[in-house]
Amino acid sequence: MASFNLKNICISLSKLRIGHAVTRSHSNGPRYRPPYWFASKERVMTNDYLTQENKQFVEEVMKDKMKVQAELESPLANNGDQSIQQWAPTTRRVGVIARKIGNYPIWSKDGKKMLATLLQVVDNHVVKYIPPEEFKPMKTCKVNWREKRRLGCLLVGSETIDPSTVTKDYCGLFDSVGMLPKKHLCRFMVSPEAVLPTGTPLLATHFRAGDYLDIRAKTIDRGFQGVMKRWGFKGMPASHGVTKTHRRPGNIGAGGEKARVWPGTKMPGHMGNRWRTLRGVKILRINTKHNVLWTLGVAIPGETGAMCYLYDTILPLRKLKSSPPFPTHPPADDLPIEYYDESIHPYDNPTVTYEEA
Amino acid sequence: MFRTLLNKLSTVPSSCGFHTTACLNEVRLLTRLRVVDNSEIGKRAMAEGKPPKVICVYNKKGVGYIGDRVMVAIKGQKKKGILVGLKQTQKVKVPKFDSNNVVLIDDNGTPLGSRIHVPIPTILRTVLKERTHAKGADYTKLLAIATRFV
Amino acid sequence: MALAIRRTSDILCAARWLIRRDCRVLSTLPEKAEISQEVVVRRPAGRRPIANEAVLESRHIYPEFLPDPNPDWRNSLREKLERADMLKRRSQIDIPEFYVGSILAVTISDPHAQTKTTRFVGICIERKGCGLRAEFTLRNVVDHQGVEVRYDLYDPTIQKIQVLRLEKRLDEKLLYLRDALPEYSTFPFDMDPEILPEGTPVPINPVQVKLKPRPWLEKWERQELKGVSNIEEHLKGKDRIRRELRKTPWEKYDLMKQYRKTIPIEDQSEIWAEVHNQLQQLQLSRKKMARKRTFTAPKPQLG
Repeated sequence: MASFNLKNICISLSKLRIGHAVTRSHSNGPRYRPPYWFASKERVMTNDYLTQENKQFVEEVMKDKMKVQAELESPLANNGDQSIQQWAPTTRRVGVIARKIGNYPIWSKDGKKMLATLLQVVDNHVVKYIPPEEFKPMKTCKVNWREKRRLGCLLVGSETIDPSTVTKDYCGLFDSVGMLPKKHLCRFMVSPEAVLPTGTPLLATHFRAGDYLDIRAKTIDRGFQGVMKRWGFKGMPASHGVTKTHRRPGNIGAGGEKARVWPGTKMPGHMGNRWRTLRGVKILRINTKHNVLWTLGVAIPGETGAMCYLYDTILPLRKLKSSPPFPTHPPADDLPIEYYDESIHPYDNPTVTYEEA
Repeated sequence: MFRTLLNKLSTVPSSCGFHTTACLNEVRLLTRLRVVDNSEIGKRAMAEGKPPKVICVYNKKGVGYIGDRVMVAIKGQKKKGILVGLKQTQKVKVPKFDSNNVVLIDDNGTPLGSRIHVPIPTILRTVLKERTHAKGADYTKLLAIATRFV
Repeated sequence: MALAIRRTSDILCAARWLIRRDCRVLSTLPEKAEISQEVVVRRPAGRRPIANEAVLESRHIYPEFLPDPNPDWRNSLREKLERADMLKRRSQIDIPEFYVGSILAVTISDPHAQTKTTRFVGICIERKGCGLRAEFTLRNVVDHQGVEVRYDLYDPTIQKIQVLRLEKRLDEKLLYLRDALPEYSTFPFDMDPEILPEGTPVPINPVQVKLKPRPWLEKWERQELKGVSNIEEHLKGKDRIRRELRKTPWEKYDLMKQYRKTIPIEDQSEIWAEVHNQLQQLQLSRKKMARKRTFTAPKPQLG
């Protein structure tokens, strides 16, 4: 029975492309239509003609379930210290799913103004772990790079939703581990030491202020754009006899022997809505009450309200040097509300002054 | 329709209907400057209504910022000067002046005049100290003849 | 018997109702007014009117507490955190009530200055930005040279903001002072603060400035300025014609435009309900400090 279940999950997983390694360069753009085998998450909503009482009953059941889900204890809390493994610089921890909620300035201790982006870690829970032996991602036609280490796959979901709004396939994924379905789902490749039990909440304290992140998100969808906007071409003069070619690319290739357009030539086309990773983003401040991270800079892909995935950075000089909360920070009540990086001037500190040199 | 669109885009709707942004007031080639020290040549040029023109900005951008060295054409001569106040939009806490001010210097960085009669931004102190090297020109003499900092 | 009593009481009720109805007709009061009175009575302890007053007052005194109305940038949690940070900063330094047209003295800690502090006095010509991005611009003429400095309102290097003269002008932005005669924006650095008696409304200065002859930085004649007296002197016929052409008198009826530029009153009341108490406390402590200062100031003179 168990193996049957597992098989089912594997099938649904492969359908959902969770185990599918996406390797796509900029030359082949986003797919505009999902492939035929893609199992959609959203259900087509139909009118069920339920009576008022039945509707109420369904709502009650839903409420109870949500309540049970919310009251679930973190498995880390009662587990104690017995099974905690040691962190090493080569281990890979799980990341979190966050939402970009805007940006505002934050000042450093020497009075310099910096713009920070706020990322809210929204209701993250570990859904499932697939150990490296069982993890068989769908083969892609070209594999550019293969991980030498054997990494397991940890599924993390964020934002619990009503199961009646999603398809049965998607629900089954969560039902088999006894959770309610999540709105967003992400696959994190983790070392087998960094595994977390199902239902572990991931909080903003998973990271520390002063650490660096890699942030993966979809860029803003700008639609079909010309070369000036898409690639920053200069265009052509507004006057001096120029007609009808003010924003056009001009020449796109030579004649003669190589009388064709070279692959990869920058041309008009769909801009944005692609997965991009911004590496080495510093965490300036953490709010433990609302689970918000302040990160340096405004270049995090996506518009306000977009989801993004946060990982520990892989940049060699900004990698984690000391042991972070491993495998994750257990939920605790006695944490300070705010953590600041040492370069940041908290707003409730007295005014910055300079000493006479 | 087009006109309303233009109006919306610009705070200063222009009459020719093409440029819709305010000018940047950058110090570039052929910008007229105001000499604010009491050097003889500078005073006479300003009094005659022939303010100096920039003929070279000594930086890589070609646009002069506070503390940059410029060469100016003044009364038929070539003189060097330091920009001590700009009209273009400045960063927070850096003063923006109503005119582009210049103080004339010679090749060693010694100012030609003996007094500057307008206020000078304090950030110039840091900028000029950075530009001054042990063996090269010493620009900090300019700070000594300033009367007021803002 | 019981039936009879009930009937008579019914009749009485009906009669009373009729009488009241008649009275209303006679008094010629609009029905609406009475309804609103009833509503006020029913609400517990006048909670609503206070909130409403606060909305009306505070949005002028603290305009930066309202978020940017662009729906693409709005997020309730971010706005909440931002407001909390603003209040934290306000608990450290006293950011007074001021308007465009008020004269301020700002002291900042400046790493470039010799004494490490710089003081600037000037008239506030512009105030913009929402939340922690709020900024204001001061203008003054020092040694016959116009100088403008822009400050972030919540910059932690600002040591003190002092209002030397609290007043408003006729326009929302005084950018035309750049083209006005210099005496309209000249203020001495050693100006004494003028203290208004408590409870007086903020005075509006009806001064009308004189502009220098053209060229101007902007086309002031098209901006419907109230604070400029001699704009017509400098205009030619074609300027007047073009001004007529560029007029957009329909924009004051454009409800959508207004809606997009403002925060709806429901959102505003939520925001003010959140921050009003703390702002009120800060204001009280500021008043206390001011009173102390007035008491302590004469002492050294006596001694």
